[in-house]
Amino acid sequence: MAEKYEPKIIAFTCTWCGYPSASMAGVNKIEYPANVNIVRVMCSGSVEPGVILDAFEHGADGVMVFGCLMDNCHYVSGNKKAEERIDALKRLFDILGLDSRRLHTEWINASERAKFAKTVKDFVEQVRELGPIPLKRVKKEVKEASKEKTLASVKQLIEDTGAFDCVECGKCTTVCPIAKFDTEFAPRTIVLKAMEGIVDNIAKDKDIWTCITCEQCNAMCPYKVDYSGFIRGMREEAVQFGAAPLCSQGGLIHSAQRIMANSSLKQNRLSWVKDDMKVSDKKGDVFYFVGCLPHYDAIFYDREGLKMTQICESAVRIMNKAGIVPVVSNEEKCCGHDLNWTGDEKNFEKLMEYNMDLIKKSGAKKVVFTCPECYRTFKMDYQDLAGDLEFELVHMSDFVKDLVDSGALKLEGGKTDGGTFSYHDSCRLGRHSGVYDSPRELAKAFSGSKFVEMENTRDKAVCCGVSGWSNCNANSKKIQVDRVMEAKKVGADRLLMFCPKCQIHMRCAIQDKVPVDESMVDVRLEDFTVAIAKLLGLVPEDS
Amino acid sequence: MTETPKKSEEPQKGTVVYLCTCRGEIGRHIDLEHVAEVLRKDPRVSAVAIHDDLCSQEGQKFLRDDFKQKGYARVAIGACSANLQGQIISNALVEEGLNKYLIEQVNIREHCAWVHPDKKAATSKAKALVRGAIARAENLVPLEDIEIPIKDSTLVIGGGVTGMQAALDISAAGYKVYIVERTKELGGRTYKLSMTFPTHNCGICCVQYCRECVFTPKIEDVLQNRNIEVMLESEVEDIAGGFGSRHVKLKTPSGPKELDVGTIIVATGSKTFDPKRIPELNSEDPNVITSVELEQLLVAAREKGGKLKRLSDGKVPKVVNFIQCVGSRDKVKGNLHCSLVCCTYAIGQAREIKKSIPDAEVYVHYIDLRGPYRGFEEFYQAAKEEGINFVRGRVSEVVVDKGKTYVRAADTDLDTLLNIDSDLVVLSVGQEPADGSDELAKLLHIQTDIDKFMKDINPMFPSEFRRGIYVAGTAQGPKGIRYSIEDAKAAAASAIELMRRGKTEFPRIVAFVDEERCRGCGRCEKACEYEAITVTKDPVKGVLVSKIDEIRCEGCGQCAVACCNKAITINNFTPQQVEAMVRAIAEEADADG
Repeated sequence: MAEKYEPKIIAFTCTWCGYPSASMAGVNKIEYPANVNIVRVMCSGSVEPGVILDAFEHGADGVMVFGCLMDNCHYVSGNKKAEERIDALKRLFDILGLDSRRLHTEWINASERAKFAKTVKDFVEQVRELGPIPLKRVKKEVKEASKEKTLASVKQLIEDTGAFDCVECGKCTTVCPIAKFDTEFAPRTIVLKAMEGIVDNIAKDKDIWTCITCEQCNAMCPYKVDYSGFIRGMREEAVQFGAAPLCSQGGLIHSAQRIMANSSLKQNRLSWVKDDMKVSDKKGDVFYFVGCLPHYDAIFYDREGLKMTQICESAVRIMNKAGIVPVVSNEEKCCGHDLNWTGDEKNFEKLMEYNMDLIKKSGAKKVVFTCPECYRTFKMDYQDLAGDLEFELVHMSDFVKDLVDSGALKLEGGKTDGGTFSYHDSCRLGRHSGVYDSPRELAKAFSGSKFVEMENTRDKAVCCGVSGWSNCNANSKKIQVDRVMEAKKVGADRLLMFCPKCQIHMRCAIQDKVPVDESMVDVRLEDFTVAIAKLLGLVPEDS
Repeated sequence: MTETPKKSEEPQKGTVVYLCTCRGEIGRHIDLEHVAEVLRKDPRVSAVAIHDDLCSQEGQKFLRDDFKQKGYARVAIGACSANLQGQIISNALVEEGLNKYLIEQVNIREHCAWVHPDKKAATSKAKALVRGAIARAENLVPLEDIEIPIKDSTLVIGGGVTGMQAALDISAAGYKVYIVERTKELGGRTYKLSMTFPTHNCGICCVQYCRECVFTPKIEDVLQNRNIEVMLESEVEDIAGGFGSRHVKLKTPSGPKELDVGTIIVATGSKTFDPKRIPELNSEDPNVITSVELEQLLVAAREKGGKLKRLSDGKVPKVVNFIQCVGSRDKVKGNLHCSLVCCTYAIGQAREIKKSIPDAEVYVHYIDLRGPYRGFEEFYQAAKEEGINFVRGRVSEVVVDKGKTYVRAADTDLDTLLNIDSDLVVLSVGQEPADGSDELAKLLHIQTDIDKFMKDINPMFPSEFRRGIYVAGTAQGPKGIRYSIEDAKAAAASAIELMRRGKTEFPRIVAFVDEERCRGCGRCEKACEYEAITVTKDPVKGVLVSKIDEIRCEGCGQCAVACCNKAITINNFTPQQVEAMVRAIAEEADADG
């Protein structure tokens, strides 16, 4: 006997109209389904998308947001902003396959009691029809952390990462971009603390989250200590004790990634694929792993000039130009990079298994990545855990270079804007994966434009300041602003990079207020893949 | 299940849950005993108590004693709306020394017991909501109120009957008042009336029917008062600042002027409905006039002597039809609301016409006669005795044909159709907010209601507007003169009370910046509608950082959502606090025991 599906719904109500309209419905005893649970907030515009998605992770089947009538917000424009924000969130819901019909906004006057009840009733019916979400929900977990277990794990970690070899020479601290601004921070002291067995405060230890895992320290260490790997492992332990990273966007991005790890939702990732682009949806020799790009356009809907799906569009068009029809899968999921680097090994592994299986099924011999993080994650983390993969992993820069070398693609004679540009080595591509040369080879093909190197380049390249969408702060911004200024200093008016996150982070730093003269950061930040596509006239120049 | 027994004589820390049956209002619909039983197993909960009437004297005593005895750290309450009676419950605990920011109350009455007849479903939902309250309470942090200094001067916007009364009361209490009035004279729309209810004449001085006497004494009082500065033909250009200290920019005939005031009375009044919006009433015809135009004709007749004459041909009208609810109670072409004063003034005008033209036939077409005022019924009875015809039915159209004006209506009492050849048709036009009221409301961050009048925070309590701003008179909604004056007095009393203390306390539900996380991007500054945030350069660290003006901040949270890094949060509504509550509710889904 199947019981009637009773969806669990959270209704965020603003203090001024939403909440009182519900109270008025109560005073008038207007019945509505008990599925809806009211949570009061100050304004509909204060509802965090991260909190909404989190509600779904924890059991909600639908979320409603009640605010004042349009043009009549108690706080002037909160409801209008809420509407824009939730419209964007609906796009993310559709991409994830959560279905935007599970989100509802209603603008209501405090006196509209019948409207409140009717809206709730209709929404409950709608969600009931959509049915249960194929998503494994987070349950109240009892953390079974034990100090002994952690001590043993840390001991193992010290061995695995070679941390025992640290001689406290301080070379890592000198090159650490965080230590440059935060004098209390040093990679070696974290290792030292752990080696002394001080894991009592692991949950409260700020430093293990402050590190941006850029591996500047690894690159410099005379004893080859893998500090970043050590940090990654420590985070995994800290999470057992209830520690959590301070996630950007209120945790929205991580939440979306965990949902991918725990659901069998039918995604809608491919709306960026246009009719004239040739892609295969299941089988093929070359698999193009897109990564989170479609998500970012929905998440960063309000960032001027940011169009992340232009990267995947460019990649496919370049491949098409060289006669390659890549597999682009609607069933692809996040590579798990961010979860891996914020201590969520369990969900990382779920994503890994899923993606490896997906690619295996496609029959691809080669997987191409535009995103350096996806590339590093497959190349190092997947292979570390799952052994050697059956398919070849290639970064877009190497892939395009090979196409050029083999004559399948010609870059010469392409259009360029004639300016001066530089290239930013993203940490995951450079130091982590050792890809330094191909981007530079390609840069030389930008005839008409002048390529210049920045002061800190290749393995000395300064990181973009944030990793894994966590623990961004004032120091991150300093690092980012400094990096852009470096480009300006060598005369570049354009800075190319492969990592979508580097681009988002650095744009974020210079788009709004900067602590320096704006002319010092007047540099156009652009994705390298997009730049190549533009060079070939495959995507239009920005207007 | 192993439960550690707790010694009741020792002070218990942790969260206590109070559930109120509300004398059966909640208890009838929700199995609170079951809720309590389940919650007692929650390791975060120190104790659960059910009371029959938490907001009663007895209930408050129970709370005080319980708190005194056990000294809980945090309290989660499942009862009624936290907005009204809820404060009685928390106040009792606050008086015993509990920080008020550590109390969380969910509404299991209006939001649950009263709307879900299925007891099982309601019980399950109540459990989830209280579980949410517990989770939120666990995450709350103690805070202190903000103390806000209040400047001792008032700006009164609008020099009509309401504004003048408020100004007189406030200046009598010894405070400086500025009246800004956009027309050339004080007195507003009341000043243009020939007579007022209920006296049927002005009745203030001895000379009956003297236009000047109706309001002259008040106007003179205001003009003579040294504490009141009147600025005619002036308008508010901008208002900046926050609670207790607002900087006002005015446009006056002698140039721009700037003031600093502690309180503001909004008395911008109303305007009458434009009957052109209902074309079938043919208001363009010279023999179809509004009640306001009739007042002017009556005033003219009184001043020049002689009877009322219509403007088209100077003829004394013998058949007069009053059409009620023009623009009122009309969802399609007018406003849904009742304008409250039209029945009263139409009867007054009808009687005035009947008095000066005894052989005139006077009809009043109405849907309902509404005059819930003292003396109205007597007024209406007198009109009937004087021979005025009250016809129940809405006029469908006014037809002008070959120089004649016909009123076509139904008499729904007699069930007959009427087509009255009429000398004069008077449209009893309703009230709407004055021009510019919407812009001013926006400038002051006051919400407007569905009817576009300014909206009260609590419709039961006049003068409770926000943050030292009080709306009085017809700016708040249609009302008669007496009620406008009452409003003015209430607003003045509230303003005086605020200024007399010179300071006030306000909840610290405002933005807070974690300076270490702040990137100084300025998105919060852009999102803020109250100019409460400024991004400044930290001279020591050389970085940009957001600074909050707590007095200007209204705690809406636009900045917090705009901050990609959550370096800025709203006290008492941080993402963690809201999230904890939401999670607890969402996780409760299938945990029904």
